Amino acid sequence: MNTKTPKHDCRLWVGTSGYSYAEWADAGFYPPGTKSGNMLPLYTQNFPITELNFTWYQMPKARALERMHRQAPADFRFAAKLTRTLTHEIDPGQWRGQAVQYRDGIAPLIQARKLTAVLLQFPPSFVRAPQNRRYLAALLDELDGLPLAVEFRHASWATDRVFAELERRRTTLVTVDEPDLPGLFPRLDIVTNPGLFYIRFHGRNAKGWRSGNMQKQFDYDYGDDELRRWADTHIAKMARQASSGVIFFNNHVRAQAPRNAVRLINLLIERGIMGKEG
Amino acid sequence: MNAYDRSIIHLNVADFAVAVERVVDCRLKDRPVIIAPEGAARAAVYDMSEEAYRNGIRKGMALRRAVRLCKNAEILPPHPDRYEHAMGALLKQTLPYSPLIETGEADGHLFMDVSGTARLFGPPVDVAWRLRRQVKKDLGLDPIWSVGPNKLVAKVATRLVKPDGEYIVGAGEEKSLLAPLPISLVPGIEAADLRRLREFNLTRVFQFTALSLEQLQIPFGARALFLYEAARGIDPSPVLPVGQTPPKVIADHEFGNDTNNISVLERVLYGLVEQIGGRLRRRRRAAGQVAVILDYSDGMRRIRRLAVKPATANDLTLFALARRTLLLAWTRRVRIRHVRLICDRLTFPPAQQDLFAAERKKKKDRDNLILAIDDIRNRFGHEAVRFGRSLAA
Repeated sequence: MNTKTPKHDCRLWVGTSGYSYAEWADAGFYPPGTKSGNMLPLYTQNFPITELNFTWYQMPKARALERMHRQAPADFRFAAKLTRTLTHEIDPGQWRGQAVQYRDGIAPLIQARKLTAVLLQFPPSFVRAPQNRRYLAALLDELDGLPLAVEFRHASWATDRVFAELERRRTTLVTVDEPDLPGLFPRLDIVTNPGLFYIRFHGRNAKGWRSGNMQKQFDYDYGDDELRRWADTHIAKMARQASSGVIFFNNHVRAQAPRNAVRLINLLIERGIMGKEG
Repeated sequence: MNAYDRSIIHLNVADFAVAVERVVDCRLKDRPVIIAPEGAARAAVYDMSEEAYRNGIRKGMALRRAVRLCKNAEILPPHPDRYEHAMGALLKQTLPYSPLIETGEADGHLFMDVSGTARLFGPPVDVAWRLRRQVKKDLGLDPIWSVGPNKLVAKVATRLVKPDGEYIVGAGEEKSLLAPLPISLVPGIEAADLRRLREFNLTRVFQFTALSLEQLQIPFGARALFLYEAARGIDPSPVLPVGQTPPKVIADHEFGNDTNNISVLERVLYGLVEQIGGRLRRRRRAAGQVAVILDYSDGMRRIRRLAVKPATANDLTLFALARRTLLLAWTRRVRIRHVRLICDRLTFPPAQQDLFAAERKKKKDRDNLILAIDDIRNRFGHEAVRFGRSLAA
């Protein structure tokens, strides 16, 4: 599934945000009764990459990540979310120490050359204000050298100055697909890092988005026409501008994410944007 | 083994008593705080804040010594009612997520079994994180949280990150989590086990797990299986439904004047045994364990337990064991303020007879005696017949 395309020379990886969901066994993606400890090896048979969500909840621990990546084949890749104490619950006196801890925690993935991106996902409350701009700049400096990708949830960050600064830093701006709701960061196919683009499909459940319940927020099934439009327009364009790209589906609630991801992979292969051999 | 993965959340408000006091009086924040009974001649530390802990203060330490170690500490009397209230509020926050919630006794600990609730509430880690955020916002308490495949592992995980933080342990990671840790961090491994393990020069879990069950059975006998499993992170015990604690029968006595007179204590203890024995027999149950909790006048507490084999509801047999337990708990010269007797591990009275006729007869005589006393008391009242030892000297 992941291979260089002769047409655009852009290597694509498509996967899901997280892989350990008990509901996916009920929905048929994993065999019935699959234990969470056995899910990663099964997942890697279907996808070449995953996005680690648990690193948002808990500071990654090197020993645990070491054990985890050994369960995956050598060519499998990971993207890891930045811990919440650096994006959502920032303590001005502590965050630099947290950044150091994070770097230490994910070291096994870097050493094994399996870390494709570190996702800095900011909450909707993180608006473009002087204090937040200063913090973001300091955070990007602190995490310099890591393959960083920044996801904004607030529309105030959608300005050329922000994109130019990310481009200067060769930091990826995450492209998001989410409901059309006022205040949300718009759907933009801007590539700020020629080395990597990063797309996240959150689903378009406008009703559940602000319910505070993750099970409603990410409950959405992408239709064929929606995925087709993405493949034909945005992804094709971004693949021409970057040497690699990662695409994740976060609509995990009833295992729509792996279904939609497989469908998108097929569409990309049909269009020659992605190679067949994996 | 379970057919499915379990997800157990453990919430632990570190230094619970201090945390509750700090909600009541925010000036205590960031200051060393010691909770200890005031006015007692030889008061002991009941709980303390992290700042006080760093100054060398420990639970149970004499207050006078604690004050010397940490001169600027704020000393507060214990308010058990406040802690119970806060515990109730904490439980209330968790109720929407699961019917299986087990709380400690107003100590800021709480286990929740959220297995199979992901479709409703999202992944267990998300539930835990949201709960912590909610508890912080609504109650001003900041619990440590962990998610693990069982209670034992979840509890170890919160111990590892104390005083704040979180720990997620995936299924299958139990053994590797425990391996490098000191054995004393594994819940359920008690002081006597640790002493024994030290004799064998075993201090870390991985040294201990190198031994087979058969090897462990030589020094530890019947306890070997528990130790063998605990060190490997195996714990099949369920999280009990809210409000359902294991059935037990409790009787208390508070001394008007604190005492360390053995005959007074034995008389009181016999009274407690009679109360409990009567209740057990009325419920047609027998006790498999007795526990004695002694509260000394300086606030120190000692708890000791003994197994009752075979289980019984006979006052005479129970008293012999309760007395032994009392002597195990009674290790100090300080006078005693309160004694509590607990009988638990309740079972149906065992049907198995003694092998030897003499033993059988002795047991039958004892049972008949108690039955006869019960009959008389049922007809003529409790005071109609009494044992000599229950009369005041």
